[in-house]
Amino acid sequence: MGLSTALEIGKSGLTIYRVATEVTSQNIANVNTPGYSRQRIILESAPPTTANGFPLGSGVRIGSVERYYDGLIQKQLVNAQTTQGFDTTKSNVLQQIEPTFNEVANDGLGTAIADFFGSWQDLSLNPAGSTERQTVITRAQLLVDNFHSVSSALTDAATTQDQSLVPLVNDMNVTLQSIAKLNGQIRYTEQSSGNANEMRDQRDQLVRDLSKQTGISFTENSDGTTDVVFKDTGAALVTGSNFGTFSLTVNAGKYDINLAPVGGASAVVTPSVVSGSLGATIALRDTIIPGYLAQVDSLASTIATQVNTIHQGGRDLVGANGLPVFNTSGSAATITLNPAITRTTIAAAAGAPAVFAAGDNSNALLLAQLKGANTMAGNTTTFNSFFSSMVSTIGLDVQSSKNTVSQDEAFVKQLAALRESSSGVSLDEELANLIKYQRSYQASAKLISTASDMLDIALNMVR
Amino acid sequence: MRITANTSSENALYNIQQGRARLDKINELISSGQNINRPSDDPISSNLLLGVADKIQSGDQYMSNISKSQIQLKITNTAIQGMTDTLKLAKTLANTLVNGSTDAGVISSAVNQLQSLKQQMVDMGNMQYGDTYIFGGADNTTAPFSATAPYYSGDETTLKVEIGKATNQQINIPGNQILTADTAASQPYGNINVFQAFDDLIAAVTANNVPAIIISSQALSDGSKQVTSAQNDILTRIVRLDSAEKMNTNNKNTLLTIAGNIQNVDYAKLGVELTQQQTAFNASLSATAKITQLSLLDYL
Repeated sequence: MGLSTALEIGKSGLTIYRVATEVTSQNIANVNTPGYSRQRIILESAPPTTANGFPLGSGVRIGSVERYYDGLIQKQLVNAQTTQGFDTTKSNVLQQIEPTFNEVANDGLGTAIADFFGSWQDLSLNPAGSTERQTVITRAQLLVDNFHSVSSALTDAATTQDQSLVPLVNDMNVTLQSIAKLNGQIRYTEQSSGNANEMRDQRDQLVRDLSKQTGISFTENSDGTTDVVFKDTGAALVTGSNFGTFSLTVNAGKYDINLAPVGGASAVVTPSVVSGSLGATIALRDTIIPGYLAQVDSLASTIATQVNTIHQGGRDLVGANGLPVFNTSGSAATITLNPAITRTTIAAAAGAPAVFAAGDNSNALLLAQLKGANTMAGNTTTFNSFFSSMVSTIGLDVQSSKNTVSQDEAFVKQLAALRESSSGVSLDEELANLIKYQRSYQASAKLISTASDMLDIALNMVR
Repeated sequence: MRITANTSSENALYNIQQGRARLDKINELISSGQNINRPSDDPISSNLLLGVADKIQSGDQYMSNISKSQIQLKITNTAIQGMTDTLKLAKTLANTLVNGSTDAGVISSAVNQLQSLKQQMVDMGNMQYGDTYIFGGADNTTAPFSATAPYYSGDETTLKVEIGKATNQQINIPGNQILTADTAASQPYGNINVFQAFDDLIAAVTANNVPAIIISSQALSDGSKQVTSAQNDILTRIVRLDSAEKMNTNNKNTLLTIAGNIQNVDYAKLGVELTQQQTAFNASLSATAKITQLSLLDYL
């Protein structure tokens, strides 16, 4: 043991504090990198020697470079983001549908229904009037147009959801593949040397990204890999460096989601998919939007049936039996004005008495009064009330989904703040560390120069 | 809890976003003047609003029905008034003839006057509103009355319109109930055939048959009562429509008040809220700008 040991210790200090500033600079450089967890250098005393007759450490050495990571927060984030993904997708799409039913601000289907029956009121005052008859036909056409527009807005929204499955599934597949690949690299790297902190960060970020798209649960293995399981069916999505694949097949004009889990055969999973934005997309496509559409369809078909029945019981301006006003196969998309209803004489205002008279308005009156009749929902409500309550149902759906989204956002933000609190880079802290390491580096250098001076003194003694 | 610069900036962003959203909401309310701009703003109230709007729309339709019906009833009244006046002239003329006359000039002049009065009655009976003969019942596209028997070619259909929910009002009187009531199925005003009375009177005057003149002038007088009674019916209907109109107007005002209470924004309240939010928003912007500038770097 001699002065050279002091030189060695000084040298180790220089090296280690250089590395420490590298870790600090890595932290500073990644202050804004999504998913990055700050790292710290773990210093420990080098093994002691007993050359002096007592044990004394031989300097400093690097224990490891660790990242700040909280597995519990990661789990909570994954769950919260799945809920947020579902609610956000649902809320966005519902908000796109809402304007179609915004009867509060604009005239839409509700007004068209009221106007149609209003035109029969006008006709009842002047049963032979050609203007009134023309108005009835025009109003009927407008009503049909409104049904078509509402129906196609809903159908388009459902189709868009169906089509959005393609990029969504592709994205998920890429993510799954990347997670598996990173798992492999992490295992390989960590077997040969230390922690693969950056790759773990990237993989954890991908797991969080995936959780927005669909419900997953994950397990962290001792070899550094993370296994991912599809929550809705329990199938394995990633096991080590192997990954499952989602795919789409067309079934009755719509996409079915297939999943080939790790080491398994591909099978249809569509009905089980209920979480994340994937679940929301399926729910919107298969349940929510068709639910609205069914109500509009029932409105269209009831109006058509009721109006046709009364109209066919009447006589037109020349005494012929009334024709059906609407052609319908029971849906709002297919309802049309009967092509035979073209001339203004066709509207059947007159009732069906023994002797026909053109000035009879009894049938027009019956049709006008249909507006106030309880014809919908098992004969409990009128056409307009039925539509109004449908509008308010959609309003309620949109409102509650908006509220849920803002709650989700607040919750995820809170979790993200917790994650940031433990894993985020603080520039102030890094700068303080930097000064600390700089001073330590200076001290180590001073140690070397002092040892060197001492060596000079010793050498001068023998000169 | 450990706070990093990113925590602060995330928080600031979130809160600024919330502040902006609140400002935007207030701005929307102020600029639209409406509390509810889409169903999701308040689903329950928007259902109520739609219900009210539907009732107002129906009310407007009833008002339009009422005012059109009133025009028709007023025209009917004018026509019946004309009939009453004509019949009064005919009665006066008949009274001068009840003692008979042998003067051919007097007879011929009286017959001429009676015939022209009868023709006036026919013309009144053929009164039109638009293209419609108001006394024709449902068969109202051709003139219902002619000077020769059976005088009436219309039908006896009563035409009704809706003036309130499930409330119908008859807006016509089939001509035969007023003028040829002897053959009418329903005889609400009497059973006199006015034209027959005219023809009988003309025949009696021509033949100078005094008893027949007395009988037929009595029939004419009864016919006049019958027409007056029909006129009373029309006037009663006009009064009924007036009151229905008033009720509808009141109803509409009430509904508009209800809708207004829900829908109209309180500008004073919004103004105060806007100022509050602006102050809060300014403060959060200014605080964010100040805090994000702080860094240890400035002191090294």
